[in-house]
Amino acid sequence: MTEPGAPPAIECDHVSRWYGNIVAVNDISFSLRAGITGLLGPNGAGKSTMLHMLAGFLQPSAGAVRVLGQPAWGNPEMYRQVGLVPEREAVYPFLTGYEFVLDSARLHHLPDPEDATLRAIRMVELEDAMGRATGGYSKGMKQRIKIAAALVHEPTVLLLDEPFNGADPRQRLHLMSLLREMAAAGKTIVFSSHILEEVERLAEEVLVIVSGRLAASGDFREIRRLMTDRPHTFTVRASDNRRLAASLVADPSVYGVELQGSELQVRTSEFAAFTMAVAGVARRSGVTIFEMRPTDESLESVFSYLVKR
Amino acid sequence: MIDATIVRLTMRQLLGQKRTLLMLGFAMIPVLIALLYRLNGDHRANDPQEWTAQVALGRLVVGLTLPFTALVFGTAALGTEFEDGTAVYLLSKPIPRSTIVMSKLLVAWAATCVVTLIAAIPSGYIGLSGESGGGLVAAFAVAVIAGSLIYCAAFLWLSIATSRALIAGLLYVFIWEGVVVNLFRGVRILSVRQYTLGIAGQLANVSERIFNPRLEGPQALLLGAIVTAVAIFLAFRALKRWEIGEAS
Repeated sequence: MTEPGAPPAIECDHVSRWYGNIVAVNDISFSLRAGITGLLGPNGAGKSTMLHMLAGFLQPSAGAVRVLGQPAWGNPEMYRQVGLVPEREAVYPFLTGYEFVLDSARLHHLPDPEDATLRAIRMVELEDAMGRATGGYSKGMKQRIKIAAALVHEPTVLLLDEPFNGADPRQRLHLMSLLREMAAAGKTIVFSSHILEEVERLAEEVLVIVSGRLAASGDFREIRRLMTDRPHTFTVRASDNRRLAASLVADPSVYGVELQGSELQVRTSEFAAFTMAVAGVARRSGVTIFEMRPTDESLESVFSYLVKR
Repeated sequence: MIDATIVRLTMRQLLGQKRTLLMLGFAMIPVLIALLYRLNGDHRANDPQEWTAQVALGRLVVGLTLPFTALVFGTAALGTEFEDGTAVYLLSKPIPRSTIVMSKLLVAWAATCVVTLIAAIPSGYIGLSGESGGGLVAAFAVAVIAGSLIYCAAFLWLSIATSRALIAGLLYVFIWEGVVVNLFRGVRILSVRQYTLGIAGQLANVSERIFNPRLEGPQALLLGAIVTAVAIFLAFRALKRWEIGEAS
């Protein structure tokens, strides 16, 4: 547990990692204390590379990564206080869930590995399946048994790579509440995800990585506001596009309207204000809106906006 | 230096039913050939001692069963975990990398010894056709135990250092030991097969006509010890520097 005022649990100081000519992570610096931090970014952005460097499985090409004050690279002793849930589904298929977690407890040389194993399996609610070989587990069950194995020694720092992959909605909620409890108990939890909603629901802090660079970091609500308040484009189809265009252009939240065939392209700088105003504008103009959809809501476009800022 | 959990895990991993059956079947090849030799009955052309030392034990067991068994177990002990991504579970524990290497090596060595001895002892006794062998079988049994350790250490290191350990190992056994060492006598000092034969020659009480290895016993033993120590050291170092792949 990291006390307030104590050094950060995780520190990255100008960390870069390249593979030949390809830069996977580019000069990233941050420090994290107890709580849940989401590592967010599109696929291939460098999240896993970053997480692997935090976990001591990749050597930074430049800069330094320290976990609980110790260097992460080449330091197996660090794992006494660090738990890792890798993204890959693979578990030892010939071991039962119980054996898999028990071996993890034994490899940590815990004083009572059997007791720690049962406790960890109970935490992920997998008691019913713990006697079955993990080779027959579903993706979600494998994910949970991996989490149990990572939690068995009660680590201070928990690193999870795409932990909710394959979990059904109920399991997802359960894992989220488990991680929240751990964070409340003073643990430092870092998880990677390419799904904005997952990070939004769980993380207090967020690190947005795009193309190997740290695009944004800090309080999630602030970053969410940045994401929401960026210029948006909407595609609108209405009973009278021309009349609606004339009315919309008078609204202060709109800074551009374009007629494109049977549709309107509406540009706004204020997402919330526009979505609240549009129905009233249409009603006052006597126009019926058949369809309205944001044109550029892909996560990639949100991320690239953050990078350009 | 040895972790019981890693040993147990590796045993279960290596001795999966298919692999065990395959290796036991492989061990039977020299035994079957020795049986055919015995059933042939004409031992005037081939002296049983000479045939057993040079063909059954020298070529079939030391030249075939031993290196291929060591290659399978030596590269699989850790290599399969790198391939399927489970190595992360082992490497994310507060265990010295040397303990992981030594525990894996112990299991690979033991498994190779079992398979190779199953091949060596029956084929040796069958080949001798009831004649006294001057301690040939016992000498080869000890030699293959030593040879298993040297091969396994080398192949374990290869499995950490390269993702193509099996191909590299096959090239070593087939091309280097099988062809190059036969063509150029000087490179015998870089052949685990020659170390094994040298150790067997030192321990067996037979004439040079029956069995005459290319390396003297003490020289073979010393070189074998050096290669084992170097391979283990390189394996420690490679595992310390091992980095997770992008796909992991």
